[in-house]
Amino acid sequence: MMQVWTIARQMIAEGIRMKIALVFFVLIAAIVFGLPFSVTGDSSLTGAVQSFMSYSLMATGLLLGVLTIFMCRSLSDEFVHHQMFLVVTKPVARWQIILGKWLGMSLFNATFLLFSGASMYGMVHYIKWTHPPQDEVYDEQELNNEVLVARHTRSRDMSIPNFPALAEAEYQRDLEQGKYEQQPNFNPRQQRRSLEKKYEARWRVIGPYETREFFFKNILCDRSPDKEIQIRYKADVAGYEKDEIYRAIWRVGDKEKGAEAYELHVRHVIDRFHTMRVPANAVADDHTLKVTVVNVNPFEGEQQKGNVLNIRKSDGIQVLFIVGSFEWNLIRLLSMMMFKLMFLGAVGLMMATVFSYPVACLTSFTVYMLAGTRSFLEEALDFMTDRNGSMFSSASEFAIQSIAYLYNMVQWVIPSFSRYDAVEDFVNGRNVSLVWVLSALGELVIIKTVVILGLAIFFFYRREVAEVSV
Amino acid sequence: MAGTKLPVVQTAGLCKTFKDFWRRPRVDAVKDLSMEIHAGEVFGLLGPNGSGKTTTIKMLLGLLYPTHGRISLFGKPPTDVSVKARIGFLPEESYLYRFLSARETLDFFGRLFRLPKKIREDRTTRLLDMVGLSHEADRPVGEFSKGMARRIGLAQALINDPEFLILDEPTSGLDPIGARQIKDVIRSLGQKGKTILLSSHVLSDVEDVCDNVAILYGGQEQAVGSIDDLLCQQNVTQITMPTISDKTIREVKDLILRLEKTNADVTHPRHKLEDFFLQIVSQAQATEVKTSGARAGGEVPEFLKTATTTVMVDLVGSLVAAGTTPEPLVVSAMPKISKKKSDSTSGVLNELLGKEPVEDDAPDEPSASLNSDAPVAPTKPTIAADSQVIDSLLQGENKESDDTASSEPNA
Repeated sequence: MMQVWTIARQMIAEGIRMKIALVFFVLIAAIVFGLPFSVTGDSSLTGAVQSFMSYSLMATGLLLGVLTIFMCRSLSDEFVHHQMFLVVTKPVARWQIILGKWLGMSLFNATFLLFSGASMYGMVHYIKWTHPPQDEVYDEQELNNEVLVARHTRSRDMSIPNFPALAEAEYQRDLEQGKYEQQPNFNPRQQRRSLEKKYEARWRVIGPYETREFFFKNILCDRSPDKEIQIRYKADVAGYEKDEIYRAIWRVGDKEKGAEAYELHVRHVIDRFHTMRVPANAVADDHTLKVTVVNVNPFEGEQQKGNVLNIRKSDGIQVLFIVGSFEWNLIRLLSMMMFKLMFLGAVGLMMATVFSYPVACLTSFTVYMLAGTRSFLEEALDFMTDRNGSMFSSASEFAIQSIAYLYNMVQWVIPSFSRYDAVEDFVNGRNVSLVWVLSALGELVIIKTVVILGLAIFFFYRREVAEVSV
Repeated sequence: MAGTKLPVVQTAGLCKTFKDFWRRPRVDAVKDLSMEIHAGEVFGLLGPNGSGKTTTIKMLLGLLYPTHGRISLFGKPPTDVSVKARIGFLPEESYLYRFLSARETLDFFGRLFRLPKKIREDRTTRLLDMVGLSHEADRPVGEFSKGMARRIGLAQALINDPEFLILDEPTSGLDPIGARQIKDVIRSLGQKGKTILLSSHVLSDVEDVCDNVAILYGGQEQAVGSIDDLLCQQNVTQITMPTISDKTIREVKDLILRLEKTNADVTHPRHKLEDFFLQIVSQAQATEVKTSGARAGGEVPEFLKTATTTVMVDLVGSLVAAGTTPEPLVVSAMPKISKKKSDSTSGVLNELLGKEPVEDDAPDEPSASLNSDAPVAPTKPTIAADSQVIDSLLQGENKESDDTASSEPNA
């Protein structure tokens, strides 16, 4: 272990003495301490804090990604400038050299992440104290309840009707009635999908004077009346302009299940997120919650057009409750970012054992980009590939399917960084759960980093440290 | 270590072929090299540029993998980590971390050997003193001159008190003080019983310190044997003595001409330029002329010294002593001396020295003349010489000898 630690120390010393640390320290400091003065969000306190946190975390992540790739030059430089001659001829196993380099790089990154996180935390409070108030009490409450917290939420907690089953039933009925017999180019798959969409739209859209009930399960919060749960949503309203206000009644709770029910009369700006807070005893004993939306204007004397509410799929209704502090949420977020950097460090080192610095840097950056955009690429390839078509039907199909096969081959090694991107959740005050962190640790570090480091060690053992010189 | 039966280094049929991008053999850097280096030997690896010296060393260190053949160091493969703990290596260039200071460099390598802190610190201090860089211990190595960096390179090679020291072109880039110092260190370590492999094309370095040498050319071993066996000119006799009068010189020459039918050259030997240079520098140091460069090194640290022999590498002292010794006179006679004639030769010597002839009971030994066509009796180490290669390699050395000996061609 002493040798591993010695190599790691040497790597850190190199980062400091070669002024790499200074450059990145200045860059991160410039971002974290400069952003609050240039980014204001939607001019509200919450908006300013959220924008600042979002930009600074993304910029820090990107900078440290670049730093990590840059640091892999330490290994390739030692091959080029032959310091490796002296190191490998000492009683140090090659795996210890790789592990030491990786440890040094990780410690370097961890220091920067801590600096960045601590600075960001300080600046959040600075913004809180110095932001010009609009409605001081409301602003601070909103910030404390919706941003500087760790709130639990899971989209799958909402009970959604079985749309494919409903669609299938209607399709079978129509088929028996012979509705599709006369249709030219009839495609059963498309028809089923179309029916499915219809049922989903009917469920999401609430017409004038209509009532819709949404059911949630697994709301495992403390149900004391002094605690609260939050209902967060964003809605489209047909026939209204953006920033107009619509009015409706929201009922939260199910008296039939013995829970308290609370009625809220709301005036909400269209196409914005809104959070409603109700006491936690609205949740039933079986940890379910009923939320009823009544599309009726409860405010007498206030005019309202006949509106159609659309609860969107992507930003639908969420039930949230506070499960932890902002500080621990920040630590868990930084851990997730750290795991990505640890994986990236292993990739950089592996590339440096095989390639010279510029090539190692380029290939590591490619892996970084692939990992960052994997979800997007998967969707794009899935969209472009004709699943039913032959690979050899056309040149473009051949190219696309070849890329898809190639991509499928490497994707088991390259993780999807977006799956572990917790910045948005953190900025919105949602809990970065320990389970999520542990799954990131498992996939990114324990499995994939170990595999990549194993490959790096394998290549290093196979590699001749000296080069041709005759 | 002395007493170990296994050779420290053993290679058998060692080959290294460098291949091109398409894996096609391009250059045979080392071909079928089999050699052994035993404990306590100071072994020189000689050869012109590109002869395979460095490639051989890199294979011994596990920096290159052999294409064919076998290597063992202390009976184990060179990639074995436990073997590396017993080795010190000074590469042909000082491949040091530019951002570390001299002290940090030695500490870093000491840590890699898992030396306890106290020993590390002690050895670092002593080695810095030995290489004359104590006053620059905290400067980054990147700011050092090439020679100063070489000195740190030497110090790092000795940090673990190695049993087997591999020195690749150790005096390259060093000033004469450093070069002499390295040679003194090698001698000192050799006396302690350490095994040393020295690769160089500076022949005088090898001649000064090595017991045995192997000469490589074209990746193949051309000759191997002890320095004495390889370099002894059996056909030339040299007599050295303090200065004598011109009259005696004339009489000696006459006597040699009369008895041996050959002319003798009588000259005063010259100092080596290295010795002269060191004398001048030591005088400058005595007057405390300031320098930011390396200073004269200190003693070889105690941990590198043998328990029975204390070798002081006090250059100044040794040089001053050299400067005060009366210059010896050298008498050289060139013709090949046969056994029969050697009786009369010893008679001449006895006459010169005013002594009675001493009966020589020693058995006759075959001549080890490199140019002789006669078969050479096997001795240990054996002499397997390609005379042309050796002649070309030793041309400079022979030339110097010829200048002082005789203008007659070798027999």
